Amino acid sequence: MDNIEQRLETIFATVFPDLPAGKIKSASQESVESWDSVAAITLINLIEEEFEIQMDFDDVAELTSFSKILDYLRRRLANAAA
Amino acid sequence: MKLAEALSIVQKTSAELPEFKVVLACGITPLHLQNYLAAHLQSLREDRKVRISRGLFGDIAGTLEQLAAQSPQAAVLVIEWQDLDPRLGYRQLGGWGEQRLASAVANAETMLQRLEKGIAALPESTALAVSLPTLPLPPGFHTVGWHASQIEIALERAAADFALRISRRPSVRVLNRARLEVVSPPAGRYDFRSDLNTGFPYTMAHADALGNALARLIALPPPKKGLITDLDDTFWAGLVGEVGHENVCWDLASHAQLHGLYQQMLAGLADHGILVAIASKNSPEVVNQALSRSDLVINKEKIFPIEVHWDAKSGSVARILKAWNIGADSVVFVDDSPMELEEVRAAFPEIECLLFPKNDYSAALSFLQRLRDLFGKPSLSEEDRFRLDSIRVNQELAKTNGNAAESPEHFLASLEATLTLEYNPPATDKRVVELVNKTNQFNLNGIRYTEAEWQEAAQAPGAFVLAVSYADKFGPLGKIGVLSGRRDGERLHVRTWVMSCRAFSRRIEHACISELFRHFGGEEILLDFKVTKKNGPISDFLSQFAGAVQTGPVAIERSVFEAKCPRLYHKILNHNG
Repeated sequence: MDNIEQRLETIFATVFPDLPAGKIKSASQESVESWDSVAAITLINLIEEEFEIQMDFDDVAELTSFSKILDYLRRRLANAAA
Repeated sequence: MKLAEALSIVQKTSAELPEFKVVLACGITPLHLQNYLAAHLQSLREDRKVRISRGLFGDIAGTLEQLAAQSPQAAVLVIEWQDLDPRLGYRQLGGWGEQRLASAVANAETMLQRLEKGIAALPESTALAVSLPTLPLPPGFHTVGWHASQIEIALERAAADFALRISRRPSVRVLNRARLEVVSPPAGRYDFRSDLNTGFPYTMAHADALGNALARLIALPPPKKGLITDLDDTFWAGLVGEVGHENVCWDLASHAQLHGLYQQMLAGLADHGILVAIASKNSPEVVNQALSRSDLVINKEKIFPIEVHWDAKSGSVARILKAWNIGADSVVFVDDSPMELEEVRAAFPEIECLLFPKNDYSAALSFLQRLRDLFGKPSLSEEDRFRLDSIRVNQELAKTNGNAAESPEHFLASLEATLTLEYNPPATDKRVVELVNKTNQFNLNGIRYTEAEWQEAAQAPGAFVLAVSYADKFGPLGKIGVLSGRRDGERLHVRTWVMSCRAFSRRIEHACISELFRHFGGEEILLDFKVTKKNGPISDFLSQFAGAVQTGPVAIERSVFEAKCPRLYHKILNHNG
């Protein structure tokens, strides 16, 4: 597990405190009942704070699961480093 | 504070703690304002689980109007311009321009009047923190940005008039916008992207600062009670022993205005009931001459005690604390010498020691503001005027008690003491809860209450509250004691008992127990006693009638009390008739 994944897990644990640690990686809007619009915005804000990036709200609609957010972050941070 | 930290604070707090219910009324999406408010409030109230509820998005007035039915312990009202007229924000397209916005002032005034009615309907026991608009108005006016249009000025005036009207209510605390600007500069407050996409218009930094400020208004720390000050290069500029009493200075012409401002600050604090004393290493004669100068900004009579000699300042502080009869944690010590501060700090770690910044203008201004924050209180009471006089009388009392020629009985009999008893005082009497929450030494169990918690307990079936005021030939001490509890069959159950330290040595505590037996009858009083770090005086008192006491219910039997109670000399007046 890389550093990005670890940090994203911590963020998920903060936004969804009732979600068991073993289910974070498979979490999605469909599987997590408390993943509503407020949780989605909080996720975005925490990701922006943690990774010091600004996310485009047009992209946010697509980020509906842990794995999609992780892919997005890896792409964004790789582009930023290049 | 980072958002992740704020969320973590809220989540980590035990759900087992008693709740502290707060309603947040705002027209914006509360989102992280709610998170930051909860986190800061939680940090200030570690003894409670803070729970913040909110009303409907966009319905600030409706949320406020429903508050009374929810009986929260506190409420927060956050107003932005768009709540007063949606055209004053960015999320609606109702039209800008001078002609269209001309009606915004009338709309704002109407909405503010509605909010005012909602506030008036709140119970007096619900503390309400109010924030006036913190975000800038949109650029929809005919003038250039540097030029305030008449509509903008009228809107600002409407908000200020509203704030003035509601601030007259004792339970309302209006956020000081000037102080907020220091920690959250206006240019860094608005998040346009977030506002348009989510309805949350604040940057994280502003949400953090505003949440923190509002939490501080709701959970105000107990104010300090006394200030002990050095003289040379603090109270005045110069060393009085070297330059002479006529040459120490504190004015603008002598480039010593900071010292004059400090004296002015001390005079203001003294007027607010704060105790001011002097601890100085000097010759008493020369200091007395300097303190007798007519151009002193603070009246010398407002300062007591004055400790001037060449011994250690920690000794002076110890004697001053004894004379004031308050704990070191309620006191601030000010000196320009780091060494003296350290000496006092070592002896009294609880004292707040402040360096007088004699050569640093920036630090000096912060120092004066710090004093305001340490000693500030929401309102001034009648007792604030009596405090210093009663301490002077206590000193006389102590001297007389130490005089073998005059027995305590003779002295107490000569006091012409009167106790005024008031059963179930009105909720508007803020002194009652204030006394309960700030008394440490003669305090049955140290439990603190919010206004709402106190009123709820006071209105329970069988409950009583007894407020005790005292006066003698030396003058009134005001309201100095509070007892509360309930009658439980033949037994009286006391859950709260506090008495101001200013009222010690007058057998008032004996008179209180005597009064409870007289008023309620019964053969036994059960008191919810708990040992705290500071409540030795009440522990000693209870031990006289109940043997050695420890945390738990303490019973005083009528027969034991009547056999051991010394003679009482008070004239008893019943306020309730």
